[in-house]
Amino acid sequence: MGRYLARRLLQFIPVVLGTLFLLHYLSVLSIQFNGDPIRALFGDNAPPEAVLDQMRARFGLDDSCLDTRGNPCLGMFIDRVGQYARLDFGIDFRGREITDVVSERFPVTIRLTLIALVFEAIVGIVLGVLAGLRKDKFVDNAVRVSTTLLIAFPVFVFGVLVQVFIALQFGNWLETQAWAPDWLQNMFTPVYLSEFPWLSLVIPGLVLAAFSLASIARLTRTSLIENLRADYVRTARAKGLAQSRVVGVHTLRNSLIPVVTYLGIDIGNLMGGALVTEGIFNVPGVGGLIFQSVKANDSTVIIAVVAILALVFLTANLLVDILYAVLDPRIRYE
Amino acid sequence: MSDASSMTVQENVPTESPEEPQGKKEAARGLWGDAWYELRRNPIFWFASFIVLIVVSMALFPFLWTSVEPGECYLSRGRQGPSADRWFGYTFLGCDMWSKVVYGAGKSLAVAVIATITVTLIGVGFGTTAGYFGGFTDTVIGRFTDIFFGLPFLLGALVFLAIVPIRNVWSIAGVLSVLGWTSLTRIMRGSVLSTKNKDYVDASRALGAGSRHIILKHVLPNSIAPVFVLSTIYLGVFISAEATLTYLGVGFQQPNATWGLLIQEGQPWATQGYPHLLVIPCAFVVITVLAFILLGDVLRDALDPRNR
Amino acid sequence: MTDTTIESKKSTESAVLANLPWDPNAPLLEVTDLQVEFHTRDGVAKAVNGVSFDLKAGETLGILGESGCGKSVTAQAIMGILDMPPAKIAGGSIKLRGVDLLQLDEKTRRAVRANKIAIIFQDALSALNPVFTVGWQLGELYRKHTGATRAQAKAKALELMKLVKIPAAEERVNAFPHQFSGGMRQRVMIAMALALEPDIIIADEPTTALDVTVQAQVMQLLAELQREQDMGLILITHDMGVVADVVDKITVMYAGDAVERADVHQIYERPAHPYTKALLESIPRVDMKGQQLAAIKGLPPPLTNLPDGCSFAPRCTFAKDRCLTDDPPLYDVPGNRQSACHYWEEVFNS
Repeated sequence: MGRYLARRLLQFIPVVLGTLFLLHYLSVLSIQFNGDPIRALFGDNAPPEAVLDQMRARFGLDDSCLDTRGNPCLGMFIDRVGQYARLDFGIDFRGREITDVVSERFPVTIRLTLIALVFEAIVGIVLGVLAGLRKDKFVDNAVRVSTTLLIAFPVFVFGVLVQVFIALQFGNWLETQAWAPDWLQNMFTPVYLSEFPWLSLVIPGLVLAAFSLASIARLTRTSLIENLRADYVRTARAKGLAQSRVVGVHTLRNSLIPVVTYLGIDIGNLMGGALVTEGIFNVPGVGGLIFQSVKANDSTVIIAVVAILALVFLTANLLVDILYAVLDPRIRYE
Repeated sequence: MSDASSMTVQENVPTESPEEPQGKKEAARGLWGDAWYELRRNPIFWFASFIVLIVVSMALFPFLWTSVEPGECYLSRGRQGPSADRWFGYTFLGCDMWSKVVYGAGKSLAVAVIATITVTLIGVGFGTTAGYFGGFTDTVIGRFTDIFFGLPFLLGALVFLAIVPIRNVWSIAGVLSVLGWTSLTRIMRGSVLSTKNKDYVDASRALGAGSRHIILKHVLPNSIAPVFVLSTIYLGVFISAEATLTYLGVGFQQPNATWGLLIQEGQPWATQGYPHLLVIPCAFVVITVLAFILLGDVLRDALDPRNR
Repeated sequence: MTDTTIESKKSTESAVLANLPWDPNAPLLEVTDLQVEFHTRDGVAKAVNGVSFDLKAGETLGILGESGCGKSVTAQAIMGILDMPPAKIAGGSIKLRGVDLLQLDEKTRRAVRANKIAIIFQDALSALNPVFTVGWQLGELYRKHTGATRAQAKAKALELMKLVKIPAAEERVNAFPHQFSGGMRQRVMIAMALALEPDIIIADEPTTALDVTVQAQVMQLLAELQREQDMGLILITHDMGVVADVVDKITVMYAGDAVERADVHQIYERPAHPYTKALLESIPRVDMKGQQLAAIKGLPPPLTNLPDGCSFAPRCTFAKDRCLTDDPPLYDVPGNRQSACHYWEEVFNS
């Protein structure tokens, strides 16, 4: 196990640096090909060059390497990595520390993602197990059809439709019903309300979870079916164990291993999905920040925030890999 | 079995029997032959293919599907809902909705096809190289893949599109490819790794075959099945992705007619009593993506040798 | 688990087993006219077509035949672990000391499994659960069948591993299956089979996946343990060399039928069925150097489409017209043996 851990950590570091470099190079190329974003801010009303130079220095954009196209600007990159290590991700065009802006918005996004994760894991696995156990029967077919349908919906389509028809129209109808309790009514709101930090995130959370839920259900189902065919199931039955134990203890553990791996990759999906969902439901989270920056064309913010998220993603994957080794003893000794 | 002194009963030798029973359907069909046999009898395959064909023909020959130009818009007709003579109503600018949808298929499909082909070529190339040659090559390609993998799909797309200001079929397809090649590469590598250890590869090598020959004739055909499945599904995924990017404002821009834009336009009107402006383009996206996913699913089931 | 639940679990199972109408004078195992079918979408495959044999305590029966002849299906039918669709037991009886196992309900059958009859599978790597330690998997039998505590179960697991002579058992009881070598893994499987001291052990191709030297060790171990515990042993294999050493009597199977039954010496000295004869002739021998290997031409028939008449006829050198239309029953052959061949005398005397 120790060797496996060491190896994973050794892989982790160059990959992190590589991804950061990729982002860095992209931003550098952008400036080199599309021109100076500082000047672009002012358009025709540019202040004197000295002021522009000062601003460039503030944003760390005063390196001469930015004048030659294709130059990877390694010096700048090293500076940047140093900055990141000190948790300094630069400033946005209005002068605020990006780290501050992001930390303000993180809690909301974490709440949203948590709701989504819990929902997709529980419902997804349960549905997958039910479908796998009753293969080709009604439950199985129902699950297969519904999950396939869910996967076919792009997140934003699902989100927009849910917002219009469920959150808004159904929510309005609900308000006219006397029997509906307050908390239920507050759940069906089309936009995020900070007075109900958890309730108003339920529907956006479900939208965010939809695609992953479907994938998890299908994965669990396939994995369970495969494991039910495995030789060790025959041995377990030959030992005189009850079917409930054979499935619940022997196969489940094996079946959940690929699901755990998937959850790691899924965090990347969730980040992208959160972006869209927060945009649609007006949630003031990190995704909403990117959404606004895209509209405002604020590339420094976009790149800095994506860098943060990429780091989170890579770390999460590392943790999932370790969890995987805990669950599957065969991996520990590779 | 290789020990001459083990006394074993003659195992099945599949070729030299003079009296093979009649009517055996299992005669040399191979994996693809078997798969086609399965697919032919699967109604979902036909249903999905039917839809795909419709969409493809809308993309290639829009004039077959509508005589109205998408640009023929009269504000006076704006936002009219579905009626007896115009099943799909009009957009908020008064353009014929059906026509817009039909013409919208073209660009979306073009992006998806180009991106899928690119991603498949890259994936097969890198994956086979990494899987077959192993060692240092594998490590390098592996790290390179990990680096791109570290960028979540949508976020990476935003970054790339922020850099590249052009918005046409090629740039969007390019961005999707740059972010989508990692999964296919990994799958291909895994597939090649398991094929590489099969006995027929060793046998071929023992007969003096060079790497190129072994890869092209033995490894590739036997490991490509999962990629085939994934590519089909990717066609759907990319349509979905392009629509998402367009909706976010970083994909195609007005006045192009793509489904993402129609949804973007339609969204604010849906609550004002014009749900068709939203629902119809949504339905088209979902049904198209669904068709590709179903196709991928049935392909996967058909190619799975364990389903015999 | 509290003491009362442990006791009640133990007593329920023992009670259930004790209440069955065992007949101490009946043979240990008596399989009569067993028929097993598989309902697949390509048709109904008749995997086992009226097979009978019996086994006494302390005796070793070898079931010999090529892949697909129905020997594993027979073993699994005796254990009761076939997947019931698509499999179906279409007829016959399996009597353990006079009690027909096929008439029992599943709960009782479960009590019989591992307690009275145990099975060892061919590929120990895939037959053992990869995510649980070997000690856990061995101990599970005790915890579930006798209500033992975890500590007791672990102690028992250790004992079992020593019984099958696995070195360094104290450390290895916490190891995972993939950390053992093939031969050691097979010993673990044997230990698992022996755990509850069954009356019968079925070994389904226990040495096929092993090297020759390891094969010999495993077979020797099996033989020793059988003697010590006076169990009945059914050895299923396609390897005639392994069989010769260990078994007392042999049933040869082909395409779902039992085609010959005799003592081991009788089979090797004077086979009475063309198939057995051909098998023996196909064994390469040192003094045959330089000659062509004698193989049996042709293929076994598809189980979904068995021919009328003798299943082996198309490949048989002794076959005559009658063989293609009349399915031969088991004829009695002098010396208390049987052969399913119309012309067994010819084979016997050739």
